[in-house]
Formats: sequence, C-alpha cells, structure tokens
Amino acid sequence: MSLSGLLRTLPTLNAINSSLGSLSLLSRQPYSMYKPFVKEPVYNIEQLDKLIESGEAKKREFVPVKAARNDHNVSVFYDDLTSKFINMVMVKGQKELARNLVEMGYMKVKQIQLAKYYEATTDAERAEIELNPITIFHKALENCSPVLQLTPIKRGGSTYQVPIPITENRARFLAMKWMILECREKERKIHFPERLAFELIDAFNNTGKVVKRKQDLHKQCENNRAYAHYRWG
Amino acid sequence: MAALREVLIFNSKCFRGVRSYFCSSPAFQYSSLSPNNASSNVQKLDFEESDTKRISKAMKSYMERAKIHDNFIKEQLHQYNIGKRHLANMMGKDPEFFTQHDVNEAIRYLFPSGLYDPRARPMMKHPDEIYPKRKAAEFDMNGRPFHSLFYTSKPNYYNLLHDLAVKFKQLDNHEDKMIYRGIQDQQASELFLFGTDWVSKESVESVLLESLTDSQYSNLIKTMERFAQHRYAVREKNFIMQFRHQLAAQTEIQKIPELMRDESNRPFTTFSARRKRSNATVKVIGEGTGLISINGEDILYFKRKQDKEQIIFPLEFCNMLGKVDVVATCEGVGMSGRVGSIRLAIAMCLRCFVDAETIERMRLAGLLSYDPRERERKKPGQPGAREKFTWKKR
Repeated sequence: MSLSGLLRTLPTLNAINSSLGSLSLLSRQPYSMYKPFVKEPVYNIEQLDKLIESGEAKKREFVPVKAARNDHNVSVFYDDLTSKFINMVMVKGQKELARNLVEMGYMKVKQIQLAKYYEATTDAERAEIELNPITIFHKALENCSPVLQLTPIKRGGSTYQVPIPITENRARFLAMKWMILECREKERKIHFPERLAFELIDAFNNTGKVVKRKQDLHKQCENNRAYAHYRWG
Repeated sequence: MAALREVLIFNSKCFRGVRSYFCSSPAFQYSSLSPNNASSNVQKLDFEESDTKRISKAMKSYMERAKIHDNFIKEQLHQYNIGKRHLANMMGKDPEFFTQHDVNEAIRYLFPSGLYDPRARPMMKHPDEIYPKRKAAEFDMNGRPFHSLFYTSKPNYYNLLHDLAVKFKQLDNHEDKMIYRGIQDQQASELFLFGTDWVSKESVESVLLESLTDSQYSNLIKTMERFAQHRYAVREKNFIMQFRHQLAAQTEIQKIPELMRDESNRPFTTFSARRKRSNATVKVIGEGTGLISINGEDILYFKRKQDKEQIIFPLEFCNMLGKVDVVATCEGVGMSGRVGSIRLAIAMCLRCFVDAETIERMRLAGLLSYDPRERERKKPGQPGAREKFTWKKR
C-alpha cells in the first residue's frame, strides 16, 4: 500500500458514509409523504440565524424543505418543549382543551410567584424569585429527568432489573409522563391546572412527588448496580 | 476483401469512440443505424461468395440483424418524410422548410387530444428519437471480440470502472510525488462539486448503451463519490463533471409573480393554495394597516388559538405585521386545512413584498413548501389506518 493510500484512510471513511447516504436515496422511505432527502424546517428565528451564519444554509440552497407544521410558530409565547408537553397532555385529539389546561397552569404559576414577589421585602429576595412560567417549566423538567432506568433482562432462567443509561429524549419523556400522571391523580377539590402549578413549583425547587419518583428510581438503580454487567452478553 | 478490412477498421474505430464518455459524435452513436454507413457495406459483403466461409456465425447473424434493423429504420424514415410533406401541405406551408417544431404544431392542431399524459397524445417524431440506439458490431469477422471486457457482457460499464481505477492510481501517484517534494496544499474538492449532483441512471445508460442494474449504478456512483473525495480530484475535474448535472436553486424554481396595482393605486398580489381537502385564495395588499379578512369576517373566523397564530405566522416571520392587508377566501373540509392553505397563500404572496434574502429564510422555515400530508385511509380488516382489532386466538 502506498503512502498516500495510508494517509487517505480517514477521508475514505467519510466517503463511504456519504455514499451510504446517497444510497438511501434509491430506496423510498415507507409511509412518508416526503422524499428522504427533504430537510426539516428551521422556523425558529435564532436557530435560523445560526444556520445561516454557520454556512449550513448555503448548502441547503438546492435541497427542498418540509412545510412548517401546524403547531410551529414564531410567536414570543411559543415554546417547543411546552408544545410537546401539550401534545402529551392531550387526550383524543382535544388539543385546544389541553392547551387551555397547560396555559391555565402557567397562569397559576405566575400568580403564585407574583404573590411571593410582592410579599418579599428586600430587592435581593425579589431578584431570587423566578417569574417566568416557561423558565420554571424548563427547570422543573430538568430536575425531574432521570439519568438511569431499570430494564428486565433474562439471564440463566431468572429476570434481573438491570440499570441502563437512557437518552435525552427518553429522559424528557419520562419526566413529562410522571408530571402528567401526578397531576391527573384523582382528588376531589384540586383540578389539573392547580395541580400542575403546584407540581411545577415544587419540582423547580427540587422537591415534590415527581422529583421523589426520580430519586426513588435512581436509588433502585443504585441497589441493582450489581446486575449492571448483564447489559452486555 | 479491401472493403471488409474497411469495415473492421471502422468498427474498431467506433468502438474506441466509446471511451470518450458523453461525446456526442455521431460516428459512435449512429454507426449501425444510418443506412449509408458501415452496415450497408456489410450488406454488400454478405453476398460475396469467396469470403462466406471465413465469416463466423456470430458475425453472420449480427449482419442479418443489422440489415433488418437498417431496413426498418430506412422505412420508418421514409414514412416520416412523407408524413412531414403531407402535414406541410395540409398546413399550407413549404415542405422543404417544415421543421420538427412545425410538425408538433400541426399534430396538435389536426389531432387535438384531451388525454392527460402528454406521452399518450398523438405524435410524430424522427425515428432516431423513438427507436433506441444500438451498438455497432463488437467482434470481427472471425467472431473474435474487439474488447478485452467483451465477456463481462457490459464492456462499456466495466471499462468505465477500470478507467476510474486507473485515474485513482494516477492521483495517488501524484499525491505521493507531492508528499515526496514536501508540498502539502489542501485542495477542497467540495468547491467544484457544489450545486451539482450525480447524473441519473437513465442518462448513464443512454451514454454507455448498456442497461444497468440498480446495484451496478449505485456501485458506479459510490466509486465516483470516493474518487471525487480524493485530495487531488480537482485535477480530474472535467472527467468528474461529465457525470454530474447542475441543480437549480430551490428559490429559483418558483416564479415570483409581479405586483399589480388596484384602483386606489395600492400594490397587491393574489395566490391560491391548497392543504388537505381545502383551498384558499388570498389577496395581500401593500401599504395597509394590518387588516385581516377571512370569508368576510376578521381573524375571529377561526376559533382556535393555534389557527389564529398560523394566520399571523408568515406575517410575523417577515416583519410585515401591520404593514399589509390580507383578504382571504377559503373553502373545504376542516379548519386546520383551511388555515394551512391560507398560511401558504399569504407566505407566497409576501414574496413580492420582501427581498430575496427573506424569501430564502422563509423557504428554510418551511413557509413556502406545500404540505403534502393527508389523512391516511382506513384499511380493510382493521378498525383504522394503523389500529388493529384485538387479537383473540378463538
């Protein structure tokens, strides 16, 4: 093998990858109305600016883009994560209802935080109080997201609960699911929006039932760490 | 015998012609087709009794096939010319200066057709355009093939791959030389590949005069891709570019209509768009105050928050909120379909009021794309599109 042949090893890998990408063009994706090479839309203005700055937009000049979806938006009130959460709260396609519930929850959060804000006497105390419900929601979800998960794996006739690391997506899903389950728990007096507001503020302060659920899971994972090696083989 | 030698030389020559890919020299492509070329000589030779013994069976059958084909093409050409004269007479024009364009016009006028697919409508074209081109003889009088790769059954294709390998080696040698001399200049191959794509399977086939399988085509493209990734691929730019075609920028594909003026001299445009089972016609008027009217009502025509936001989306995206008036009419099934069609139509109209950069931004944001997604049909044997009945053993 010649010297240049050796030196070329790395770009060769790239070439194979890119050729694999072009190969997938030949076979159509099932169920998708779009062809596989069509790019996702970038509707967020900040992300779009970044895309243009990085020169990635120039490359997309020749590539068609999917249509922005019905729930995409550039409104100042729009939040990607909230929109995801609304979709998870939704039952039987009643999106407007789900959205109203979540927004009422946000309103309650705002009211509670504002009450705290006006009760506080010094400026230092006031500066500590977070007033934006969307920021609270993001922080709360972050606090609720687990890092590990237990999966049943069969070894030698018996099943073990084996702790495995989970992806960001899965962690987000679990946090949202726990939050919703906690809020839906049947109790006469308190309705979903109020429950949501309380849970969000609790989770924001790293307390509450959802955070406890996460900690319980982590504890269980810690107990079962002896089985961790069953993940492989 | 001398004539025979001529044929051989001619054939071997035209075979060499294949090596220059995408060359449109008629000698290479039409050699066996045109009546006054090699194969007509072959016909004469066929009946020379002294040489019949030496001619192999393969050559004989080839010559027979060539003869039949040539006669067929000749006949077709004759009919085409007669037809052209008839059409010229019918249209009252000079037959000598009657072009293919005139023929098409005449056919469209004399044989009007309501068929949807243009290929299904009546047509009259030159036989060269209708009947596929054929390869010239690939073997000599003794049945011995000219090409070393003849028995691969696709000599032109494998020859191309072989050429690629040779060129690859040459580039490697060049790179070695450069490294030896201590010159390390980075030449980005991306630069000249930008905005182009590999040619389609059909065009490769038409040039090689061989039918390729999907895997053969993807193999070729894979090899070319890897070749183009070479650090010194720029040296073989002309060779590579023969296999690439120019892409049109997405924003250039869509034509932007010109602004019109209404009676009060305000600029406006209209656009009709569709989504799901509904369609909308939108008129966007410049120098406005942000009035929105949908089917005679204001934005409250839509009850859901999401729908109202969708109407505002393109206007907010290009900072045109409060600068233009929107008059929309929509009809069809479903509110989200209606709102989707209005959004697309507004975005399309706004292209006339903003600069090119904003149009590209709108395209990247997915505002200028038609949404092809539709309700998936219910399937027999299951309650919905994807949902299945509960499975019971008995």
